[in-house]
Amino acid sequence: MPDAHATLADASDETLALRIAGSVAGSTDDEEAELYRRFAPRVRLYGRRHLRNDAAADDLAQDVLLLTIGRLRAGEVRKPEEIGSFILGTSRMMAHSERRVTRRREALAARFMQTTEDTAPSSLSSLDVPRLAACLRALAERDRLVVLLTFYAEREAPRIAEDLGVSSGAVRAIRHRAMTRLRDCVLGEPSPANRQDPQP
Amino acid sequence: MTTNACERIALADLTDYAAGELAEADAAAIEEHVFSCPDCAARAAQFDALVRAIPASVRSAEIGGFITDAVLNRLARDGVRVRTFVLSPGAMVPCAVWDDDELMALRLRGDFSNAGEVTLSQSVGGTEVSRTTGEVHGGSHGEVIYAISAAWVRQLPVVDVDVRLTAHDRGQERAIASYRLVHGGSLQRSS
Repeated sequence: MPDAHATLADASDETLALRIAGSVAGSTDDEEAELYRRFAPRVRLYGRRHLRNDAAADDLAQDVLLLTIGRLRAGEVRKPEEIGSFILGTSRMMAHSERRVTRRREALAARFMQTTEDTAPSSLSSLDVPRLAACLRALAERDRLVVLLTFYAEREAPRIAEDLGVSSGAVRAIRHRAMTRLRDCVLGEPSPANRQDPQP
Repeated sequence: MTTNACERIALADLTDYAAGELAEADAAAIEEHVFSCPDCAARAAQFDALVRAIPASVRSAEIGGFITDAVLNRLARDGVRVRTFVLSPGAMVPCAVWDDDELMALRLRGDFSNAGEVTLSQSVGGTEVSRTTGEVHGGSHGEVIYAISAAWVRQLPVVDVDVRLTAHDRGQERAIASYRLVHGGSLQRSS
């Protein structure tokens, strides 16, 4: 049961949604901002996987949450207590639509103009890029190469496996281990040497 | 270290999800959970930020080591200024970086047959200054590519750098080749 008196930080997603539902514009600005803060990263994550483009994922997060808040205010969300499912469903719908538009745009661009790569995403300001670079340097050569090939050169595991002369399973195991070490290094968590990671 | 109450989604799954290599059903299950679990959403967002920062970090050209053409091609697409030198065994190559170069790539040619991995050592005046061991991969085609930050090269005095490649295969070591970079300092473009 949602707690009507919970503070914003303590309020559940369900409580926030119920407060916004049917509210007058401007009366629940704080709740809307909190809902946005909580769900934008999730929609962005979804968008990155399905749209394969950081800028498009950022746009998707904005569009989905603007629409969600508008629907909530208008009383058009049937079950505000299941707001997570509503936002995921909206993300799926809008990403699908975006993919169609992108395909059309790319087809037109291929015909009429040269396209350029998207720029660095806006939401990286909180991550220390020089520190990440140092952590990447600290990885074992093979681990770093697999990370670079996956998340920079955008190669899939079977292709990397072919290049490195190992199995796809080994590539994934190397990648898991490398990303764990990278995350721990960036966050200043336990030294990779002390971790008990499975060897590929 | 932060401890989250729910850790239903393993980091390995987040890694495969981010790489786009999870089966649709598994990816959908992760999405369903992330949209209903604040703990896992926070972990997923933190991991996503890490993945998103990797390209920016690589573009900063501070990451050297053994790379492949796939990485070099992406760097070129990203507009990173790469100075490339192709060195055959025994080569002595005048080497300099321009003031706006960001990365130096050495294409080191040699006989890598039967080599599982190689060690590259760099020596200045007979003293080894760096040693790196990496894989010889299937796409090597008789060369390995080694990247060095141009900023690091610019700091070197005018000096000869000896590069030596050694192959390792089933516990056996074999010298592949030596190369000499005659470092002439940093070059400035006239305006």
